[in-house]
Amino acid sequence: MSAGGIWLVIAGMALANFAIRFPSLAVLSRAELPGWLRRWLSYIPVSAMATLVVGGVLRPDGRWLPPLTSPYVWASLGTGLVYWRFRSFLGATLAGVILFLALSAALG
Amino acid sequence: MPTTDTQQAPCPPPRARFARGLKLGLPIFLGYVPVGAAFGVVARSLGFNPLQAVACSATALAGAGQLIALQLIGSGATVLAVVVTTAIVNLRYVLFGAAMSPHVAGTPLPAQAFLAFTLTDETFAVNIDDHRQGSADARSMAGVGTIAWSGWVLGTAVGALAAGAIGDPTRFGVQFAMPAMFTALLVAQAEDRRHVIVGVAAAVTAIALMLALPDPWYLIVAPMITATAATAVSR
Repeated sequence: MSAGGIWLVIAGMALANFAIRFPSLAVLSRAELPGWLRRWLSYIPVSAMATLVVGGVLRPDGRWLPPLTSPYVWASLGTGLVYWRFRSFLGATLAGVILFLALSAALG
Repeated sequence: MPTTDTQQAPCPPPRARFARGLKLGLPIFLGYVPVGAAFGVVARSLGFNPLQAVACSATALAGAGQLIALQLIGSGATVLAVVVTTAIVNLRYVLFGAAMSPHVAGTPLPAQAFLAFTLTDETFAVNIDDHRQGSADARSMAGVGTIAWSGWVLGTAVGALAAGAIGDPTRFGVQFAMPAMFTALLVAQAEDRRHVIVGVAAAVTAIALMLALPDPWYLIVAPMITATAATAVSR
């Protein structure tokens, strides 16, 4: 892609990403939300995180990996356990990456 | 005359609340630097100069969306295809913005614009968790967003400027930095039995949709289906 094309991509991504993020936050924050919608929204964080974990762990880079021998799966379980035990976001992330490197070396 | 024996804790000054957000977001910063560096390295290999790589991260702050954009550019996609695809990948932020909206009611529009600009998977989860504990406000969320943005941009700059020295970033395990953060954030969200069940249901739904739908639709459809079912059941 040409330099001009790259600048167009950068500008387009900046505009598109802001246009996606801003309206729902700004508009709904000014509205009186019914109870069912508040409940629905309260379930979005845990649902979205579970979806992101599944996608990133079972099919990294768009390629399904056999779960029993996947370093992603075992390192993710380890990361979750470390967070659950120590409640440290940073510690869990670092432990997860180290575990992932060790498991990648061990599982090939 | 009625008296009170309790004293309300004084509200910390704005700077302290912002600083608290910076501290809260420090793990995001440390996670974003290596992944941002990976983006910088790959961007340079696809013809971006350092300024373009940094500008992309500074204005889009799109994480996976940016990495997918590089894949598409590498495969010869058009400008329109790259922009539309990354927008679809990031459609989940419509949901995240909606979920954040009750927590930013009363926040001035310019501040909301900044919070929206810095809305990522990680800042969303950290701020939602902080709200649940009753500690978050617009200043602290701005602190979280600022340090997350800084980590992503700094990492990109390091990767773009030192691409030759870094080589293949996957040897440092950066490909697992995002899944590790998501996993920790998921456990943080699973605060009670009901949320654990919802999380498991979302995971199962996501797997089914990954098999049934083209990418990346499962990212937005699975949370919507699960949240709808959970709302219906918990009525």
